[in-house]
Amino acid sequence: MEIIVIVIFVIGYLLIALEHPVRINKSASAILTGVICWTLYALFVPESIEHIGEQLSEHLSGIAGILFFLMGAMTIVELVDAYQGFSVITDRITTKNPKTLLWVVCWVTFFLSALLDNLTTSIVMVSLVRKLVPNKNMRLFFSGMIVIAANAGGAWSPIGDVTTTMLWIGGQITSVNIIKTLLLPSIVCMVIPLIYLQFTLKGELGHAGSHDHNKDESHPHGGHPHKKVKGSKLMLFLGIAGLISVPVFKTVTHLPPFLGMLLALGVLWVASELINPDMDESEKKPYTAAGALSRIDVPSVLFFLGILLAVGALESMEILHNFSAYLDRTLGDNRIIITLIGLLSAIVDNVPLVAASMGMYSLETYHADHMIWEYLAYCAGTGGSILIIGSAAGVAVMGMEKIDFIWYLKRISLLAALGYFAGAIVYLLIYPYLAVHP
Amino acid sequence: MEAIIIVVFVIGYLCIALEHPLKINKTASAILAGVLCWTLFALSSPTESLLNSSHFARFLEILKLELGEKFPALSQNEIFRHFVVSELSHHLASISEILFFLMGAMTIVELVDAHHGFRFITDRITTKNAKNLLWIICWVTFFLSSVLDNLTTSIVMVSLIRKLIPNKDMRLFFAGMVVIAANAGGAWTPIGDVTTTMLWIGGQISTAGIIKVMFLPSVVCMLTPLIYLSFTLKGELGEINESDLKDKGESVGGGMLMLILGVGALISVPVFKTFTHLPPYLGMLGGLGILWVVSELIHPELDEAVKKNYTAAGALSRIDVPSVLFFLGILLAVGALESMLTLHNFAEYLAHTLGDNRIIITLIGLLSAVVDNVPLVAASMGMYSMDVYPQDHLIWEYLAYCAGTGGSILIIGSAAGVAVMGMEKVDFIWYVKKISIVAIMGYFAGAAAYLFIEHLTGAM
Repeated sequence: MEIIVIVIFVIGYLLIALEHPVRINKSASAILTGVICWTLYALFVPESIEHIGEQLSEHLSGIAGILFFLMGAMTIVELVDAYQGFSVITDRITTKNPKTLLWVVCWVTFFLSALLDNLTTSIVMVSLVRKLVPNKNMRLFFSGMIVIAANAGGAWSPIGDVTTTMLWIGGQITSVNIIKTLLLPSIVCMVIPLIYLQFTLKGELGHAGSHDHNKDESHPHGGHPHKKVKGSKLMLFLGIAGLISVPVFKTVTHLPPFLGMLLALGVLWVASELINPDMDESEKKPYTAAGALSRIDVPSVLFFLGILLAVGALESMEILHNFSAYLDRTLGDNRIIITLIGLLSAIVDNVPLVAASMGMYSLETYHADHMIWEYLAYCAGTGGSILIIGSAAGVAVMGMEKIDFIWYLKRISLLAALGYFAGAIVYLLIYPYLAVHP
Repeated sequence: MEAIIIVVFVIGYLCIALEHPLKINKTASAILAGVLCWTLFALSSPTESLLNSSHFARFLEILKLELGEKFPALSQNEIFRHFVVSELSHHLASISEILFFLMGAMTIVELVDAHHGFRFITDRITTKNAKNLLWIICWVTFFLSSVLDNLTTSIVMVSLIRKLIPNKDMRLFFAGMVVIAANAGGAWTPIGDVTTTMLWIGGQISTAGIIKVMFLPSVVCMLTPLIYLSFTLKGELGEINESDLKDKGESVGGGMLMLILGVGALISVPVFKTFTHLPPYLGMLGGLGILWVVSELIHPELDEAVKKNYTAAGALSRIDVPSVLFFLGILLAVGALESMLTLHNFAEYLAHTLGDNRIIITLIGLLSAVVDNVPLVAASMGMYSMDVYPQDHLIWEYLAYCAGTGGSILIIGSAAGVAVMGMEKVDFIWYVKKISIVAIMGYFAGAAAYLFIEHLTGAM
């Protein structure tokens, strides 16, 4: 029976990876994979149904914690965006020198992505680059670097990326420690490609044509209000304060982070309802959390639900555990295995990869803040930059800027790989001095 | 601290009820109430009665097993922290089961609707008389709900009346009666409602026993409000307006197929549960997955942008996510009260002061209009032991009736009510004014019918 479950899982995975040629939405494949894996487990494995029910309920409560966290974060970001809160930051960039601008854009992306998720960061930054860099060829390099910087910036903060968040919620890493140990490697991962481009990048930013001004208003989510409303600064401040307060909430109350995120969402929600008392109901709707909720990406929430349920089934059947034991025997060193996981995350989604790794290694053997968890956060977070389809940020940028898969492979992949290995080496060199459990 | 949490809960409750005058969305209030209750609970020090309860003792046993030799090193505070997190995780799992079930059902219904699948049913109901239609709708809901769960039934029925009744004011009365009929229909079969199912699984009631004695009271519970409305309901169904006709013109193929698949998926959920013993939300998600794939494959000729409206991805963007989060918030808040044993203590206090079981259970039914009926029934199952009250004893059957139908009295009192509130934007206050009183009449009429039947059969 294990074989059949593995086959189902692999087929589901292939359908997800081949979403576009097969023309079946990846959320549908993920949900079916998850449900079928658990059904087969419940029907054909000689295990008491109470025990299976308990395992499923445990997985569900972990998964729900991640999903409600994500929904909260996505809504907060969407709400700040509806108030054009991010333009408060982006309006300040005025330089005309391409190399200086590249450095500024990368650093802003890096730190923004540490607070927001990578997807939102790259969407915000690409919209900005469209305004600042009219020259299409030059802009492609900027977009590529935004992908690298967004992924690097997400790796070192517990709220910066789904995979780091998963490890943080699961108790594998702690906020202060992950920032301490991964900040430097993440910076190296971004700066190495940046230095290379500093010497090789040629060309002009180009002049802003009048028609570009209209185009830059388009937004991939569509249906966005673009009229000026008051409260941009307040919402930006509340949103960022809300996101930052989530780790603080966890430390003070020891409750799971999704509650902190919901608290922040609740506060922003009330503020968004009270901030414009003069508007009538229908005018106000796009600027409230209720409106923001209708624009968030619910299919990806269900995608995560399906894929995490499927991985949970493999974990409960101890398939993952056996697989890791096999890897250990053949490859020997954890560090090699995790480096490979990072490279693999350029091809397959990094959420199931990290979920699988969390199932492979137990917290009993590898304590919180153990080297393998931190290194996993780094590798799974940044390895996705190597191919444009390897990360959510890359896919969003590909959609917005029509970057060609092959162009990225020729011009950016090598740089991204250089950065990935440079950061990895830095981490492996410094962790004996910084890590809690070397 | 317990008193403060109860105050926070009550304030949150008031903010939800007074959503419109306060101009604060009820979801925001519910989320804040839920989070604050848990935060205060986590920061408080445990009460004596909690530490001495059998519930806490059971938790200690499990924690000892899990931690092994590390257990004795834990301080009192750390143990309590473990307790809170483990309670929250239990609640979150059962809440998510409901929420993902709800999301799945709503998406399936939305998807069938996008393909105009319900037209095949609504075209058959041709009556233009509001009162006749109300009777038909109520009976269909009643029997559908005895097979399907109340939530699915009310979602399907509300989607139907949306097509049949363009007049918004009239439709609200229908929506209210759908809630009453769905809850009444769920009370008399072991698979019709969560609470009846709980009592059935726990062995407190038997299938034949509950159907035999409960059918008549449930019918009375629905009929009393129905007869009342037959005399007082005024107004027209309204004309099917232009936009609906236009919809028919634009309709894409596959309506019949989607209707059959959608209804098939909903009906197969209880079958899936019986067969695999896995929780129902997995069955619902499986059904959604199949419909999703079909919806992607059924229109190969349409281009991406048009097709989006007819796929599950498009349907998902139309479902009411704020209601899902509202449910999350309010259930988290009730969960906190339950974990603090506030509900349990309240029920015990009632038992001491009131004495008679029938009065207590009637009150539990009324209470279930305010708090979720699942924890109430769970608490009652813990309050009375099977040794004293054997299977099919009066209190179990009466509990099944009261907890099942009492939730109709307030719109937020039952899952069916919350779903209808989300779909039709039924206002809390409107429901209190127009429906609550007839729901109470039905509740007491059914209760009287049950006690009368019980008295007759007991005397024989």
